[in-house]
Amino acid sequence: MKRRLWSGLVGVVVALAVGALIMLAQGYKPLSTYVALFQFSLGGIGPFTTTLKNSVPLVLTGLSAAVAFASGPVNLGQPGQFVFGALAATLGGLYIRLPAVLEIPLLLLLAIAGGALWSSIAAFLRRAFEMSEFIVTLMLNMIADFFTAWVIAFPLMDRKAFSPMTPQIAKSGWMPDLGLLSSSTLVMLGAVVLVWFVFHRWRAGYEWRMTGQNSVFARLGGCDIHRNFLAVMLVTGALAGLAGGLVVMAGPHRFIKGLGANYAWDGIMIAIMANNSIVGTLVYGVFIAAIQTGALGMELITNVPSEIAQVLQAVLVLIIVATREYTNVLLDRLSARRQAKERAA
Amino acid sequence: MNDLIALHNIVKVYPPNVLAVDDVSVSFCKGEIHSIVGENGAGKSTLMKLLYGLVPFDSGRIEFGGVNVRFRKPGDAIAMGIGMVHQEIVLIPQYSVWENVVLGAEPVRTLGRIDSRTAIDAVRSKIEEFQFNLDPLAIVDDISVAARQKVEILKLLFRNVSVLILDEPTAVLTPQEIPQLFAELKRLRDRGHTILFISHRLDEVLELSDRITIMRKGRKVATVEASETNKESLATMMVGRQVIFTSKRTPHQRGELVFEAQHVDWERGDGLKLLDDVSFSVHAGEIVGIAGVEGNGQFELVNSIMGLEQPTRGSFLVKGKDITSLSILERRKLISFVPQDRGKMGASLSASILDNAIMTHHRLEKRFSRWHGLVLDYRKARDFVDMLKERFSVQMASRQSDFRSLSGGNQQKVILARELLLATPFFLMDQPTRGLDVGSIEYVHGEILAMREADRAVLLISADLEELFLVADRILVMHRGCIVADLMTEKTTIEEVGAYMLGGRASA
Repeated sequence: MKRRLWSGLVGVVVALAVGALIMLAQGYKPLSTYVALFQFSLGGIGPFTTTLKNSVPLVLTGLSAAVAFASGPVNLGQPGQFVFGALAATLGGLYIRLPAVLEIPLLLLLAIAGGALWSSIAAFLRRAFEMSEFIVTLMLNMIADFFTAWVIAFPLMDRKAFSPMTPQIAKSGWMPDLGLLSSSTLVMLGAVVLVWFVFHRWRAGYEWRMTGQNSVFARLGGCDIHRNFLAVMLVTGALAGLAGGLVVMAGPHRFIKGLGANYAWDGIMIAIMANNSIVGTLVYGVFIAAIQTGALGMELITNVPSEIAQVLQAVLVLIIVATREYTNVLLDRLSARRQAKERAA
Repeated sequence: MNDLIALHNIVKVYPPNVLAVDDVSVSFCKGEIHSIVGENGAGKSTLMKLLYGLVPFDSGRIEFGGVNVRFRKPGDAIAMGIGMVHQEIVLIPQYSVWENVVLGAEPVRTLGRIDSRTAIDAVRSKIEEFQFNLDPLAIVDDISVAARQKVEILKLLFRNVSVLILDEPTAVLTPQEIPQLFAELKRLRDRGHTILFISHRLDEVLELSDRITIMRKGRKVATVEASETNKESLATMMVGRQVIFTSKRTPHQRGELVFEAQHVDWERGDGLKLLDDVSFSVHAGEIVGIAGVEGNGQFELVNSIMGLEQPTRGSFLVKGKDITSLSILERRKLISFVPQDRGKMGASLSASILDNAIMTHHRLEKRFSRWHGLVLDYRKARDFVDMLKERFSVQMASRQSDFRSLSGGNQQKVILARELLLATPFFLMDQPTRGLDVGSIEYVHGEILAMREADRAVLLISADLEELFLVADRILVMHRGCIVADLMTEKTTIEEVGAYMLGGRASA
């Protein structure tokens, strides 16, 4: 635990240093750039709540990937499940009108169902034809992408708009403004707590973890690995779907072209950085959101282009993962050498 | 002194803190058979790998022919004339004997074409020189394990090594094949080769060696002349205390019928029968052993009983209940299971000790869950691990440590304890002492005998005949998927069982 914290911190520092070198090579001032970057994302309550709000799709898709990878299924379908969740919430918001206390939970549930529906296809194909979910979920991303593009360009297109998008959803389905903390942040935090509890305290979560680590052992121990596979696929699809629904309900309040952006791929990266830990996904998700949020402010007051944030993000992922593995090797080797010296003396 | 190889103060630590070789100094002479004995984990294999350049050592030095050497890779060692044959045989099964022997040192003609005639002649002359009785043109897949081992040795002799390191070569051989290997090794010694022989089988070591070095927990205990020692004193030095080689089995009345296999067949996709009409029974308070050379259907039998595979015909019954088509969870209500491979089937090495200890209990025992099985009660689970640790004296740093941080013996204790504490009538054990040291083996045997006292039915599959003779009441022999013999332990001998294992029938 302590070691994980340290290797993470070392990774972040090294990555920022490498980012600084890249900026130096480009002729920018790294220090003032970083100051600007973090001032706009973490410097005060206002920027921090914006960062938290921006972290919602990253953390939720990251959770989806982390739970899947730690339990065995290689679900790489978060992008598709995300847009299906978004589409389901949009459809509900367009055609169902209820008071907000009912409308918001309903739309969230629809988003969850939409994501789960999309991941269940991959789960079904695996069960029926032994098709690898790895490739199926990737392919389903394409289908989901083009299907939603078609939906917002034809049947659901807002005739008044200039680019493909749906009309706005019912106002009662908008995530309410709660002042400091956005309501979507609260939903995200609730999801993190719930997923942690399921994963670390429920019997199902125990079986998922054990299956992810050694499926033969879990199977011989009496775990129904087929049912667990289906459950994990549904839950992780649901999390990605929830992310999509929240983006619609908290943001543009409609499904616009390019809504999914890179959220889900960033989420998968975050899960990898966090080594599939749930708390780690939250921490790294917020951190990546801080860089993305700060990049816009940084562009305002320095002449560094916001694209540098993407470079920084890529460097972070590589270095944090490398540092984690290497710190372990290094620490092991150091203690081995110390002991050898003691014996030889 | 005519020391050919001298190791001085060698230390090796496996990261992070496993002290595998602890300040060992030992020397080997030219033309001797020198055995290294010790329990599993005593460091004997590691010591040899350090010499061979397979594993780097942390301090100390090695002298070879009076010169300081340090091999960075096995190739360097071979070039200097030191070769090692590993426990697992690593040959290309589709290639012929000569191809395997010359691989990596092929005589070539222009454009790099292999000069097969020269190669075959060279291999043949080596075979004749050492009287190995091999056909250079035979395909490795078709020859016996003993012959494959000879190919491994030949491979090294072809490269003109003068020092041969053999890592537990007899582990894969049947009792009948061992004398031939020993005769060949002695012939090699008489021609001036030095042979370093790693083993923990004391009878063999005494028969074969000139000198014996005993290791315990990474340290060298002593080097003795084989002619001046005996089995008991070797065992005492190895284990650090007296070991009893006789069975503690006491007469016990067997009870009702518990487990039954009825005409079980298991056919592979290509129609080969790996289990062929297997029928037998195990009673309460009875330990039935299954002997056989590995790969004669034991694996398929275990998988079919546990439900990883479906037999093509026949059925298994526990207490009269047909379990053949039950789910694994339903079977686990009746069967406790200790698999042969701890890391693959018996545990999850990267999960915590606690997570490993509650497997199966988490479903079968109501007290481990609340809210109708939704939530696991981790407090009860922690109490359970504490109890298990106490009762089975497991050495562990903490309940949350990785399972892999336990020693092999302690890992097996946790697995055994977990399965023992399931309230099942039938206990299936597949090589439960494989890879354990003598002390842990004694412990496991004690637990198996205690199960018999508690009137559980035990099916023990083992490749170790001594083990079966120590604990089993009845020994079944498997050969090519059939049960070829059903012998009462008191009325048979190791030789008789060995003959059944080899030929399928006693050929006395």
